[in-house]
Amino acid sequence: MKISLNELQSVCRKAFLGMGFTAGHADDAAAMVGWMQSYGLDGLKALSDGLECVVDSAASARPDVVYQDADIAVIDGLQKSVLSSGNLALELAFAKARIRGLAVIKIRRCRQRQLIMGYLARLSSRGMNVTAFWRHSQMPITEQVVGFRAGSAVPSIRVYELSEIPEDDVPNDGITIVMANHVDLLPTVRSEDEYRLLARHDESDLLAARHEALEHGLTVEPEVWQQLKGFAASTLVEASAQSRSGAGPAE
Amino acid sequence: MTTSPTSSLDWAVSLRSPAIVMDLERLGAYSPTRLSFARRLTRLMHDQAWRIHRDQFELDDNGYGAAVYRLQTPAGRYHVVIFAQHLDDARRTDRVIADSWDLTFGLVEGEVDGLLLEALAANVPLQEAGRQHPRLLVISRANKSLRNFEAFVSALAAGHQPDVSYLKEAGYLYRTTAVYGNGKFGIADYDRLKGNPDFYQPFLAQMAAVYVLREFSVEQVEHIASARGLDKTVPLAADIRRYLGIGNSTGLGMAPFLINHPQLISQWVWVRERALALASAQQPDEGDRERMLALCRRVTAYLNDTCVEDERQILRNAEVHEELTQVTAWLELVPLDDALWRQLLDWAHVQLSFESQELINTLLIELYPEQVDALNDEMGADENLDLIPDMPLIQLKQILETHFDWAIYADYECDDARYWFWYQSVEKEEPRLGVRGEELGEEKELALAIGPTAQSVYRELISALEKQPRGRTIDLLMEFPEYMAAIRRIQTMATTFYGEIRANLWHRDMKPMHLLRAKLSFLGAHRFDPRGDRWVRVTFFQGAPLLSDYENDSTSRSLFDDWSFPVAPNSDPTALVQ
Repeated sequence: MKISLNELQSVCRKAFLGMGFTAGHADDAAAMVGWMQSYGLDGLKALSDGLECVVDSAASARPDVVYQDADIAVIDGLQKSVLSSGNLALELAFAKARIRGLAVIKIRRCRQRQLIMGYLARLSSRGMNVTAFWRHSQMPITEQVVGFRAGSAVPSIRVYELSEIPEDDVPNDGITIVMANHVDLLPTVRSEDEYRLLARHDESDLLAARHEALEHGLTVEPEVWQQLKGFAASTLVEASAQSRSGAGPAE
Repeated sequence: MTTSPTSSLDWAVSLRSPAIVMDLERLGAYSPTRLSFARRLTRLMHDQAWRIHRDQFELDDNGYGAAVYRLQTPAGRYHVVIFAQHLDDARRTDRVIADSWDLTFGLVEGEVDGLLLEALAANVPLQEAGRQHPRLLVISRANKSLRNFEAFVSALAAGHQPDVSYLKEAGYLYRTTAVYGNGKFGIADYDRLKGNPDFYQPFLAQMAAVYVLREFSVEQVEHIASARGLDKTVPLAADIRRYLGIGNSTGLGMAPFLINHPQLISQWVWVRERALALASAQQPDEGDRERMLALCRRVTAYLNDTCVEDERQILRNAEVHEELTQVTAWLELVPLDDALWRQLLDWAHVQLSFESQELINTLLIELYPEQVDALNDEMGADENLDLIPDMPLIQLKQILETHFDWAIYADYECDDARYWFWYQSVEKEEPRLGVRGEELGEEKELALAIGPTAQSVYRELISALEKQPRGRTIDLLMEFPEYMAAIRRIQTMATTFYGEIRANLWHRDMKPMHLLRAKLSFLGAHRFDPRGDRWVRVTFFQGAPLLSDYENDSTSRSLFDDWSFPVAPNSDPTALVQ
């Protein structure tokens, strides 16, 4: 079925509230899903594939800071969804980059990492150059790098497979994000490395997807939509004669 | 002669303060101005030579069926598609919980072929229950004013004009009960409209759809009358036709919009206040004074023609009517002076009710189109509530003390101060008010009251500063992530000139009607006719130009520009208020 972006964000927001997110975190999580979906990056699939994790993460709005100094922070994601506290973790890095010029943040052990792109877009719109890196799988090794130029909400995305396995192959289920206040950080994959490009999304592709979404609506699986509406319904109050009078006198 | 102010500072220093302007009771006393969206639309249609043509009008003798109107602007083509049906009286309700209406309609971007019309016919009449097409920019529904409708059909069928006194109580044949935009139920997102040269401004698309409905309402009545009266039937006279508007019935559903779009509302107020400051800084000549007096007389006549049911509104209208005689006397007596308008505003501020003060402001803005109309282009806002995580806590404290003093020092502990809670019902997600501690649903309260939250933030901030005098906003948020929404809103709104609406939305004495009226005035609604404090009927486009006026090259421009506070045809402007 087709829905509008506003419908998606509105229902997602209420669904997140229904799961127990705070208002601000529900706003951000809904915007993160909506951003991905509107740029053709399947935010709804990322959400629905890990819905149980999202519900389980709802109360975890405070990032668990393992280490931080003026330039660097390390956060333990506690195997929760990035929707729950990723926004604050990124704001922490944003603050450091604004003060120090450049900051690095590592969010270890986090889930649904794709969805964090929606919040990165927000930070870049606020004037920050941002690059994020994470490893999808170990065997074969696939990696993703996402770069936003300051002032643009549209990234450049590369997903590639490495042909050589490094000796140190401890599973990497985190995200590393670099923010720079004054210099570009757009990713380029070094040509001398042995890799196979699996996906490449440039600004023009993403803008075309966005245009298509606004023109013709977003496609959503009815089951997923009903699932989200089910969570959203828990924010609504049962009707009664007394509650009807709460909207004003009957005509 | 009208001269420009000697410097931009002249008018800038006369901007009213946020403490005065953002007071909810004052916002609830607003009248529409020439910058309101309905007025903006009729000017735009004239200036850009928009053309509206009836493409399809397939109604039976009872007026049931479908009609399509083509709207051509220099930049694009749109269609208004209307479906009229029989509705049992028992099912006719203006509440959002209704599931059928006398008429439903939508504004479509681009062409409408048979296939699309079929899809629209299957879904638009269902409104919220349908899955609406993404090329629809607006969907809406309307119910008949049964008395007016029958009176008009009967009169025209019998070969005479209807009694216009009917229109003094309800100035319309149809009243809309919701006008949806921005992606509701699958229609186009507002983001798409931002690139649309005709409807990039908020609510212009909604106004255009309602304007076309007004034309349809008359054509439908004439069609039914013709079927009933055959050769005896006469068309509706142009002056009565012009005096017909479209009603709107609005409830609490509109209230959260004002709270959830603080930047937009602040921008609207900022535009209105700049227009007022510019107008009041002009040096008037006798012609300007005469024009102001004429506007006062017109509003007096408009009030004479305005019959409302609500006792409090009757008293308010009577008070304004009485105070207008004082204004008229003042204007006639006071010597002409370069600072006449400033003197008038100062005098009004001390002597008159909020409603009269704001009415005078509206009329002053009316006098100076050349100075204020360009501000119309600034009625939109990029709505992003952005956090400044590196802001020092001491600065955040200063912001709260400067811009949210009305909120952080208020008492939210006494029973009256926390009397209401806002929530959404399962019935079509209708926003409602419940009494705290008495009604169910408090745990699902909508976070609309920014005042108490700002106070909580302030208290935690004070403690955080004691521990961490050089702390930053992110430090507070890492401890209290639940304040994410509030803090970024506080930081963002502090950058706007007028900031937040200043009210405790929990307070027992808070009147939601003020919120409704503030928004409706910006849209361009006249004839506020409240039903209690949570429900209001208003009229749009009463007195506005007709389609035929646009098609007539000899029509005076003033007809497209100067139609607010409409007076009934053959009305006696000297009669006393009802």
